[in-house]
Amino acid sequence: MILLEAFSTPVNYFPILIQLVLAIGFVIVMMGATHLLGPKRKTTDKLENFECGIEQEGNARQPLAVKYFLVAILFVLFDVEVIFFYPYAINFRELGWNGFIAVVMFVAFFILGFTYIIKKGALNWED
Amino acid sequence: MNAIVLSGIWGVVMMFAGLFLKSSKQIQWTALLGIIALLVVSILDYQAHSVQAQTYFGMMTIDVYTSWFSILITACCAMYLLIFHKDIAAVGKNEAEYFALIFFVMCGVYLLASYSNLLILFLGIEILSIPQYILAGSDKENIKSNEASLKYFLMGAFSTGLLLMGMTLIYGATGSFDITSEKFVGQFEQLSSMSSLSFVGILLLLISFGFKVSAAPLHLWTPDVYDGSPTAFTPFMATIVKVSVFVAFIRLFHFSFGNVSDAWQIAIASMIVLTLIIGNVTAVYQQSLKRMMAYSSIAQAGFMLFSIFAVNSTLAYKGILLYSVVYSLASIGVFAVIIKMKDYTYDGFNGLAKKQPVLAFTATVCLLSLVGIPLTGGFFAKYFVLSAVVEQGKYIWIVVFAVLMAAISAYYYFRVIRSMYFKTGEAAMHTEPTTWDKTLLILNAMIILLLGVLPSLVFG
Amino acid sequence: MLILLLILVPFIGGLASFLFGEKMAYAWAVFTSLLTLAIAGTAYYFYSQATHTTDLSFDCPWIESIGSTFSLSMSDGLSVLMIGLTGLLFPCVFISMQNKQPERKHVFYGLMLLAQAGLIGVFLAKDALLFYLFWEVALIPVYFLSSMYGGPNRIPVTFKFFVYTFVGSLVMLVALLIIYNHTPVHSFSWDAFVSVGRSLPEADQSWLFWMLFIAFAIKMPVFPFHTWQPDAYEQSATPVTVVLSAIMVKMGLFAVVRWLLPIIPLGSIHWMNVVLLLCIIGVVYASCMAMVQTNIKRLIAYSSIAHIGLMCAAIFSYSNNLLGVQGAYIQMFNHGINIMGLWILVSIVENRLGTQDLREMGGIAKIAPRFTIALVLISLANIALPLTNGFVGEFMMLNGLFNSISTYRMVFTIIAGLGVILSAVYTLGMIQKVAYGELNEKTASMKDLTMNEWIILLVIMGIILFLGFYPNALMLLVDTP
Repeated sequence: MILLEAFSTPVNYFPILIQLVLAIGFVIVMMGATHLLGPKRKTTDKLENFECGIEQEGNARQPLAVKYFLVAILFVLFDVEVIFFYPYAINFRELGWNGFIAVVMFVAFFILGFTYIIKKGALNWED
Repeated sequence: MNAIVLSGIWGVVMMFAGLFLKSSKQIQWTALLGIIALLVVSILDYQAHSVQAQTYFGMMTIDVYTSWFSILITACCAMYLLIFHKDIAAVGKNEAEYFALIFFVMCGVYLLASYSNLLILFLGIEILSIPQYILAGSDKENIKSNEASLKYFLMGAFSTGLLLMGMTLIYGATGSFDITSEKFVGQFEQLSSMSSLSFVGILLLLISFGFKVSAAPLHLWTPDVYDGSPTAFTPFMATIVKVSVFVAFIRLFHFSFGNVSDAWQIAIASMIVLTLIIGNVTAVYQQSLKRMMAYSSIAQAGFMLFSIFAVNSTLAYKGILLYSVVYSLASIGVFAVIIKMKDYTYDGFNGLAKKQPVLAFTATVCLLSLVGIPLTGGFFAKYFVLSAVVEQGKYIWIVVFAVLMAAISAYYYFRVIRSMYFKTGEAAMHTEPTTWDKTLLILNAMIILLLGVLPSLVFG
Repeated sequence: MLILLLILVPFIGGLASFLFGEKMAYAWAVFTSLLTLAIAGTAYYFYSQATHTTDLSFDCPWIESIGSTFSLSMSDGLSVLMIGLTGLLFPCVFISMQNKQPERKHVFYGLMLLAQAGLIGVFLAKDALLFYLFWEVALIPVYFLSSMYGGPNRIPVTFKFFVYTFVGSLVMLVALLIIYNHTPVHSFSWDAFVSVGRSLPEADQSWLFWMLFIAFAIKMPVFPFHTWQPDAYEQSATPVTVVLSAIMVKMGLFAVVRWLLPIIPLGSIHWMNVVLLLCIIGVVYASCMAMVQTNIKRLIAYSSIAHIGLMCAAIFSYSNNLLGVQGAYIQMFNHGINIMGLWILVSIVENRLGTQDLREMGGIAKIAPRFTIALVLISLANIALPLTNGFVGEFMMLNGLFNSISTYRMVFTIIAGLGVILSAVYTLGMIQKVAYGELNEKTASMKDLTMNEWIILLVIMGIILFLGFYPNALMLLVDTP
């Protein structure tokens, strides 16, 4: 105990501080040094993004028709809803009529949503 | 319970109303019919649950308090829809969807009022928030509205993340999401036996709730969102949604974390101080009334936080009920006048009293209520939340500080009154108020005045 | 029930005035205020005869959950005096305004009557929450009145007044809440407050004292909380100034007597010397300021600060013979009467000459004898000449101050006496500048008093002389405070 207490005053941590300062200082010095000393040759080819060696064409950030997003989102929505059928299919017998009613309600809401999408014209490709 | 189901179903009904009803009038009438039905159903719920509380597999506890709050908040929402339904329909093309989203938000409101499981709390907050992101951006052509929507969405997603993190930590400490379960209650019985996981969890929940109720320093989204959203939706977000989150807040922090209040009370105290200072002082410098009301809603949130701060006090619970109703009605009343104006700056209101005495009068009553002048409900709202703190006997300084801030708030609220009554000007109108509008606004003002004389009416 | 009518009649009358429109407004306001005066007179009669005492108090449950009752009571001489003053003042002001009607009369008179209802409520309330409620309610109509009618700079000035009083009253509310939380069975009633306030430790009382006192001091106003007052008096329309200076400032004094001294006795004694010092500084400072004013409204405003300072000092004198506080009661009534007379005269001068500047006046005595008689008499009453109503009160107050338990009573009394002399200097100076000297082109066209103005001023002068000769009428009321 006495030994521990003797080592727990702030002064005892001083070597650690020195170590820390030295470590950070070393990193800074080395990085700075390479930056300053190293030779630099900048060419267009070197600065270009590397895409499997194929020359890049145009900008990747092109506007995309919002319809793709719409379809993608709707797909994800219905996809996830369909996944709910798996647990039901496995427990089909145990759940009995109550389970059936619940699933019918689920499907009903599902179909309502689907009708809404169709009616709203969300899947119409041509304007 | 029926109110939760009906609000969800009516949201779907409104979606289909948009498909099958051609005239805008009919859609509006469907929405009004829905909110009235919701009001009736919540009153029936109240009578059904007044005998004994019902728990739905331990996920929700619906008792006399929650169903009473549901009635009050539905009534406020009914007032909002009655006053604003034409303005909502005028925001854009998808009018039925706006109403549908409002009904979905109401569904989240009921969940927040009655959860007894952290998962339902999360579900409620999400159901409440997501429609709002859409509502904020519903004015598609307006870049400010887009900004509001995006900001609200990003900030909201961030705060939801913190909420989930907090819940996870608390689950880790207690092993249960059910706030009534023994494990959960036992964890928060006293501070000394609480694990540090729970401590961090509570703080994360606090931060997340702080985001939702726009308490400083987590308020930064508020002015831009409230200012950028279409004026028809700002009062909805600033009142009904905000006070519901407060009720969820108080439910968790009083009933579950009440015994360990020493762990979080000081955090709430600093939030209150910051919220009051930033909300009130910044509101003074606003030139647009809509933006001023956004800051005022931050400042008012500071006062509502007092009800969280005063742990386990019946006064605090009464206070938040009264504050919810009075603040909602008063803000709706002010926004109802703002939306009628062409120019939202103070100068745009010059001379309104001569041109539209009814609008000026009702706005004045609402503003006086927001200041907290006696004979309006706002006085007793502030009175109850502050006296709940005084009752505890400590932290008196924060009450004194709060009343001084209330005096600052008088400055910007009275500035509107000065513009309307004492200055001369054109006060150009965007839409002329109909007799129906005026009747509703007078009714609204009368309710505020009535609550200023008999506040016990809202205690149920 | 009678006492409830005292509030209800002006309140409903005020609301009705908004609905009746401009044509009826004036007649309706005079009628309502006279009706209120009649009720106040009846209440006074009941009080003096000690009959129908049940009519003089009213109790009904209000917000039971927090122990607040709607309780009104006219149980002591002070409330009788203040009710009498309020009842008398409004009809006098209304009748004196017959020739010079404001724009949008129904709004003006409606707000005036609402203010009256609030003021009466303050003087009657026996429940702390109710008291606070009326305290604020009285302020709001006055805020609107002062902002809508008056000088060019009225809006910011009135707002300053509003913010001052609002800050004070909010702090007062917190203090009331703290005392309320000490009551064993939570209650806002005055009796409960008195019994619990006494038992609080002196350390608590000493800061609660300031929380309450600042609110009242702003209202009175006591130096250094007075800075809103000269501006507000100058810029408000004169009928509103009458209400402000004759009654609203008395609210502060009244509240000290009713809600501060009995509830926070140790704190009051603890800070007595500081308060006395502030009051006395106020007396001298305001008198000096009054001497150099060139605007007649500002002059009277400063004279009002000086008088109120003396009254406040007398209330805080704690003289063993109670003369000080009794004198203050009497003076609160008399000062109300006198200052009302002065303001009515000022408004006449202002309307006829179109100026408030003393340098542009002079020589009115030659062409307006009736006006001059009233001016001289009322001004002399204001400086407490013997045989006018002001004398008895002032004498008792100085006597009380002299017998104060304060260590520095001699100094305070001497300086306060100096203040009385100074008041003679500036008041006589004012009379001289207004009424004597040479006529100029502005004052040459001055018309003398019209019949209705003359009647009102005769009534006021009658009261002044009657109470000067027979002060016992008031002494009987304040004998048992």
